[in-house]
Amino acid sequence: MVNPVGNFEKKVKSGEKGLARKSAPGQPPMMFSGIKVKYILIVLFLIALGIWGSLTLSQSKEKKVKKQFHLLSEALSREPGENIFTLDQKLKKIGSLFDETCDIHIPAQSLSGPLIRDEITGYAARARLHFAQLNIKFHDFVISFPAESEARVRLTGRLTGKTTYGEAVDEAHELECLLKKSEKKWVFSYIEVVEVLKK
Amino acid sequence: MAINKKIRQFFVPSLTPAFLIRAGCVAIFAYVLFGHLLTPFRIKGHSMEPGYQNGSFNFSWRLRYLLSTPRRGDVVVIRFAGQRVMLLKRVVALEGEKIEFREGKLFINGKELDEPYRQLPCNWDLPPRQVEANSVYVVGDNRSGPIQNHYFGQTSVARILGGPLW
Repeated sequence: MVNPVGNFEKKVKSGEKGLARKSAPGQPPMMFSGIKVKYILIVLFLIALGIWGSLTLSQSKEKKVKKQFHLLSEALSREPGENIFTLDQKLKKIGSLFDETCDIHIPAQSLSGPLIRDEITGYAARARLHFAQLNIKFHDFVISFPAESEARVRLTGRLTGKTTYGEAVDEAHELECLLKKSEKKWVFSYIEVVEVLKK
Repeated sequence: MAINKKIRQFFVPSLTPAFLIRAGCVAIFAYVLFGHLLTPFRIKGHSMEPGYQNGSFNFSWRLRYLLSTPRRGDVVVIRFAGQRVMLLKRVVALEGEKIEFREGKLFINGKELDEPYRQLPCNWDLPPRQVEANSVYVVGDNRSGPIQNHYFGQTSVARILGGPLW
């Protein structure tokens, strides 16, 4: 059994008196309302912090995924008079953006199935050869994360440029992609050009 | 003086609460109307000529197929990629129907389709194929170019956003 030391009762009573003095006349004393408001504010602050944190985290994840598309567009694009060193660097870059095998489906080119990095690089090199100038832009991103290390992206790819025969090209396609996180880096593991019109 | 004041008030209104509420209501109304119901678009290409000219301006009426489904002969706006790339095409066949091109003439279930909207010559040949469920077959009115260069085919009804206003 523990007995209170000193004039405990008196201290409590004086505390009550002090708090009661702050409440409005005719109202019950606001002994705990101040404490309650403080706790509510702390909880609200923590919730806001949590929302802000999760949003920032998901945005940074989205930014990293978008960055891969930006790098892919840079590597695939071609300026007139591109030298062999730039070409070599760009092809190496394309290879590094893909998983060891990547499922690629391009119905218009009758291309469908898993390709290894070297095949993708070779295919990209051949495709780029058809163009004297090529500019690829990605926009309208809809990104979701079905798993921690997976990003599903639906987007629009716009291809503009000039063929080696001088024909102007301006095409837009809807793409569905799946990126996987491998060694802290997002890599493409599935790319499909959505076939909106099936002849 | 009073007219001058009125003109000045019209062009440079004072930021009263009533004015801000009115401006807010106009902005919301414009966003809903032109962003979701009556989307403006500019035609780029010649595939729907002569009815719809390259560079012309129109609106896509999104509620057109709210209570009905597309019918043969309707001109529809199809979502091609994202929210910005649309196609303007004509519905020529509905689900379950067989479509075929023979020497530029369009046949639906073996019967030649009368197409008054098509005025340019066409020499397309396409073997018969059946339109899948929940899909429609769409083609442009201008079939004077080679078949390989023309965007046409069957598309899901879900991709149809509406029809042009005129």
